Amino acid sequence: MKMTRFIIVALLVFATGLMLPKVVSNPYYFYAGYVVLQYVVIATGWNILGGYAGYTNFGSSAFFGAGAYMAAFLFKALGVSIFVQILGACVVGMLLGLATGYLTLRIQGVYFAIATVALVIVLETLVHNTEYLGGASGMTHLADPAPAWFGGQTQYVFCIMLGLAVAAVVLARWIEVSWIGRGFRAIRASEPAAEASGVPTLKLKLLACALSGGVMAAAGAPYPTYTSYLDPVSAFSLLIGLNALAMPLIGGTRSWLGPVIGAVLLASVQQLATVTISSEFNILAVGLVLIAFVVAAPEGLLGLRFRSRAA
Amino acid sequence: MRLTRRHFTKLGVAASAGLAAPAIWTKGSFAQSDKIRVGCSASLTGPLSGTKNMVIGYELWRDDVNAAGGLLGKEVELIVYDDQSSPSNAPAIYSKLVDVDQVDFLFTPYGANLTATIMPFAQQRDRFIVGILTLASNDKLKHDKFFQAAPWGPDGATNWARGFFDIAERDGVKKMAILAADTEFSKTAAEGGRRVSEEMGMEVVDFQMYPPTNRDFSAILRNIKAAEPEAVFVCSYPADSTAILRGIQEIGLNDSVRLFGGGMVGPQYASLMENLGPALNGVVNFHLYVPEPTLKFEGIENFLSRYEPIAKQQQVDPLGFYIPPFTYAAGQLISAAVEATGSIDQAEVSQWLHANPVETVVGQINFDEIGNWTERRVLMVQFQGVDDSGLDQFRQAGKEVVIDPADYASGELIPFADARKA
Repeated sequence: MKMTRFIIVALLVFATGLMLPKVVSNPYYFYAGYVVLQYVVIATGWNILGGYAGYTNFGSSAFFGAGAYMAAFLFKALGVSIFVQILGACVVGMLLGLATGYLTLRIQGVYFAIATVALVIVLETLVHNTEYLGGASGMTHLADPAPAWFGGQTQYVFCIMLGLAVAAVVLARWIEVSWIGRGFRAIRASEPAAEASGVPTLKLKLLACALSGGVMAAAGAPYPTYTSYLDPVSAFSLLIGLNALAMPLIGGTRSWLGPVIGAVLLASVQQLATVTISSEFNILAVGLVLIAFVVAAPEGLLGLRFRSRAA
Repeated sequence: MRLTRRHFTKLGVAASAGLAAPAIWTKGSFAQSDKIRVGCSASLTGPLSGTKNMVIGYELWRDDVNAAGGLLGKEVELIVYDDQSSPSNAPAIYSKLVDVDQVDFLFTPYGANLTATIMPFAQQRDRFIVGILTLASNDKLKHDKFFQAAPWGPDGATNWARGFFDIAERDGVKKMAILAADTEFSKTAAEGGRRVSEEMGMEVVDFQMYPPTNRDFSAILRNIKAAEPEAVFVCSYPADSTAILRGIQEIGLNDSVRLFGGGMVGPQYASLMENLGPALNGVVNFHLYVPEPTLKFEGIENFLSRYEPIAKQQQVDPLGFYIPPFTYAAGQLISAAVEATGSIDQAEVSQWLHANPVETVVGQINFDEIGNWTERRVLMVQFQGVDDSGLDQFRQAGKEVVIDPADYASGELIPFADARKA
């Protein structure tokens, strides 16, 4: 599919989503749908660096949390709208990605992954000690009422998250088909070979870090509005980092569709399990699914499909 | 293994069916209206899972109501989901309860952090909700259908540990030391303590904060000793409470210290009480219920005797003094209001609760306009004569003696050093 046609389809999906508050009357589906879409954005963001460029990031929750806290800070200090909050979060995420990348990209593989975990701890400690942001006990975030058209705050943030998801997927797809994506693939295949062939590896890796960070931070921006409350333990939760990694792995890391499938599948199961079976089973199920995919389908669901086509 | 497209489709169908199955087999028929549904989330897993014994309180209340013929002739159904101790899970769970399960009444999750995520929701939907040990959750919103099950009182956020200072004033304490974990909850209590001490004319001779991860208190305790206080107000969490009390066993405190404790979280839990044993002697600390003769509320002993075997079976806190009686009482608030008004209308039930006292297993409760108890009844109890014979000793009166509030006092304060020598 050509890029322009892809964008048109994406916009149609967004427009259809905007009509949902008029069609679906039960708010619960927007609550659950919000979480699923949030993970679509996070997984897509993670995949830009982790999937395309091959740098495993365990610290996704640092970017998510930074975005959430930036949004809450902007709202508390200046009372700005949610769109400005998202923009602010995005800028902070990109800068954070750039800074982290600059400091850590000299190390590769497992050492890079460990360095990203450190970022989570640094940011969480920072928030713990910042009284203005509520410190360890968290802060209440009572957002302005949503526009009447949406019929409620949850429907409103759902539509905003849908917009973010569509934007993230379009960005991922654009990267995939552009020269940037080719550069990322070259880095993933062999960094020295890419460097030798004239690929500007450091610049591209920094770009991947910034874009990935920006997208994941944007996913965090509507979170305080969704929960009306923000605390460091949830915002920097390890579960976010694990999900960000597991979802593209389950779906497939080579294409934009992989993280989307993984996120929709895994987040839906998690939402369902929370209100049906107990959470111990929930976590066990995620673990088993992950092991099964690593063993049977190391390239995710999409990998299976490509293999089946080849057969 | 080679996969054909047909195999892939089959795999997809099987996976979808597998994913949907839990929802199909566990989802009951919620469309009937011959039941009164009460719902909440509880921290069954995660860092707050130590509080999951709260569900036993709800279940015993439900069973009692149903055994007596239900509410308004309808069976009471309890729906509890696991929030995994994470505030991010609570909004979707409460929407599920209200929008899909269509519950009639709600309890909050445990504690202020999780409750903060659902209070705006409860207010927007104008829902009746009972707070479960949440501190100051309705101070800002002032939702008129919120009712607090715990006895923090009208100005709980700053004054819940006030009883400790009242005891200090009665005992003629002039020099106070304050030690608190560096977290918001402890900090607020410690700052409140400093203000109250100064109001009462006491000199704060030592004010120390420690990082919440600190486990070595030898230097801190030596500093306190050097300041020679007469009372030490401590705001700590279970792990640091243990470390502090063990530290005192090793290093000791001056004989001038007559009062020690106040805001320590941990000495309310059976596991910690069993572990510390005689090291608890002399500590004066907050609690919500202890089996003293002055607190023999109607039904509490029967409740605890039925709680114990269930707790043993589920391997949760065997004593159950701290949370379960209050979750049972939360249910009693609903049944009293529904029976009195003959209605499940949220506004009618709320109005009735604002206007009338309710007799519960934790005593009589009166509510103010934002749903707090009209009077603070946080107990300050002193551990006296504790030996290392295990948990059973705490089921008898005389081991956790109520010193404050005066109306419920069951014994006299023994100076800290004397209580430990005995």
